[in-house]
Amino acid sequence: MNSKLYRMSDLLSPADGRSLVVDTSKGLVLGALSGLEHWEEAVCPLLPLLDGIVTSPGQARKLMSRTRQEAALLIRADWTNALRGEDFVLPPETIQYIPLLNSSDAMDLGANALVMYFILGHEEEIETQCLQRMVNLALEGLNLGMPLLVDVQPIGPRVVLLNKAIELGVSYAIEGGADGVIVPWPGAQSFKTIQAMGNGLPVWVRPGSLELDTPDLAEALQLGAAGFWLDERIFAVNEPAVVLQAFRTLLHAPVVV
Amino acid sequence: MDRLFNRHGDGCAICVAADHGYMSDVTPNVVNLRSTIEAVIAGGVDGILLAPGQALRLAPLFKGRDGPALIVRADWMNMPRLGTSNVSNAVPQRLLINEKVITAEQALSLGATAITIYLFLGYSDKVEVIGVDKCTRFVNECRRAGLPCIIEPLAYGGQVTGANIVEILTLGARMAVEIGADALKIPYTGDVDSFRNLIDVSGVPTLVLGGARSDQERDALELFAEAHEAGASGCLMGRNVTKSPDPKAMIEQFCHIGHHGWTVDEALHGETWNFVRLKARPSLCTGCDLCVGACVASHGDGDYGIHKARLQIKPGNQPGQHNIMFCTTCKKCIDVCPTKALRWHLEYGAVELLPERCDSCGKCVDICPTKVIIHSQTGLTFEDGHSLDWYPVICDLCGGTPECARICPTGAIFIAQRPDFTPVLD
Repeated sequence: MNSKLYRMSDLLSPADGRSLVVDTSKGLVLGALSGLEHWEEAVCPLLPLLDGIVTSPGQARKLMSRTRQEAALLIRADWTNALRGEDFVLPPETIQYIPLLNSSDAMDLGANALVMYFILGHEEEIETQCLQRMVNLALEGLNLGMPLLVDVQPIGPRVVLLNKAIELGVSYAIEGGADGVIVPWPGAQSFKTIQAMGNGLPVWVRPGSLELDTPDLAEALQLGAAGFWLDERIFAVNEPAVVLQAFRTLLHAPVVV
Repeated sequence: MDRLFNRHGDGCAICVAADHGYMSDVTPNVVNLRSTIEAVIAGGVDGILLAPGQALRLAPLFKGRDGPALIVRADWMNMPRLGTSNVSNAVPQRLLINEKVITAEQALSLGATAITIYLFLGYSDKVEVIGVDKCTRFVNECRRAGLPCIIEPLAYGGQVTGANIVEILTLGARMAVEIGADALKIPYTGDVDSFRNLIDVSGVPTLVLGGARSDQERDALELFAEAHEAGASGCLMGRNVTKSPDPKAMIEQFCHIGHHGWTVDEALHGETWNFVRLKARPSLCTGCDLCVGACVASHGDGDYGIHKARLQIKPGNQPGQHNIMFCTTCKKCIDVCPTKALRWHLEYGAVELLPERCDSCGKCVDICPTKVIIHSQTGLTFEDGHSLDWYPVICDLCGGTPECARICPTGAIFIAQRPDFTPVLD
């Protein structure tokens, strides 16, 4: 065992190698999201139902006193306006990407892992910046024992074949030194390819919706997905705890809270 | 943070921004900076924002436990030179630039209690991302140095319109908090509700800034009073104070509003009021009934009962809302009394009962629009043998310093001057 594996074992259940993660970090780019206006009030009661929580660096400081029984802390390491749509109050005219944190910053905040975007489909410069940052963080993380999870986002206008773009993003992440990847569901065939490339690397699936009865979720688990990576939409539903419990039941045994 | 926000134990900081010489044109407030700083310190300012060089030169003015907190400007920008100011005409600039110029450790060595840096939104994507990068790096530096970081989101540029500026400021406030700001310095959004929403989604102490200097002193005070009502933790006023003919007096006025709960009128006109009346801000009333208890305690004989109070707190139309009912000095009871038993108190301006003239007719109780004239618990017997079973008990304004206004924790009840009132006996 080494530090990275210890940190990852706080995130991935040793019993089944899976985890349920919720990403709340988009507030860094989009401001106060629906249901997350009061971040602590919304997030903290749900921590026992999660295996991992992704936060911005600012919000991470509110979780520094959490217990080991609560979700592992994953911190967003970068910022991009590529997540903003045309109807946002400040629609992007040029896509920008910057790193925010390094591994030692994450360590100071008590993180179990860093999470960064890999943006595909915009200008070459953006892809290059993401790749450079990924390699740097992976190497830093090696020395400090800080895992790096890469959030593949094939969201640019140049994406022609979505599934192939996802495979490409995962390939780059593996080559760059990622300790885990997050992908939108690429279909069974591409997912098999991704699993083969990864050779045991944890691959989380980002569901397109919060509906549990879609066949994609079950298929993803059958094909070895490491779990589900939900986003801020969970906070906009009436009873987030009920939905999370259902996801949790799908992944692990039920948890009594 | 306590050194800045908790000097008075109320979580409020009245601060002055005196860093304009760093970025703006050379005006008297820049030339006479030392005397301006001395004046605002005499006025009771809690914190002063200075550029690094001035922080070095003026350090002796910040000494002592009573000294103000020093906030250091950690970055530089050329926004004032993009507009139509004098300097713009002298050395005009074409592009907005915003760069960090000192480190957190350097600010600490200058004696800073906190630093402040800009976050520009609405100029261009490039400027925004540079700002996010700079703020994040600085937050991390400040965290390691143990120095609070105040981020100042500003909406400026071609993407900012009258229709979207509030949304952009609210976005900037939340982004700053997500980055890790310990506090915010931000322009007022223009109305209490939208500013309250901005503060609500931020969740950190927020200092409202004053913006360009207004011709009327009152405007800046009203801006701060509204922001304070919305939940601002203080202000960081710049040109409205430093360009004022009397910066000391202006700071005193801001302190009265922020620390003592005075209204703008009270702050402008000071303590020398002959006659006062009660006024209310119902939206601030929490229904705690401290005012009712204080009224009974200050008039009572040891008994307690809210029915003995000369004011009432009643439920409002919506859950959580309250109506504050007190004597509004409307004079209807005085006018309706058939025996002239009610008159103005010559010294305090409250309604005064002359019990020997009263016949307990009850007309004053019936006509009172706020229904705060109550029956006494006991009667009276006079020397000539006649007696009253009860007499009207009316608010006496506690001799000119109403206990209800003094004890109200939120400022929902406060006093106002009655400038045109002169009690005249019929």
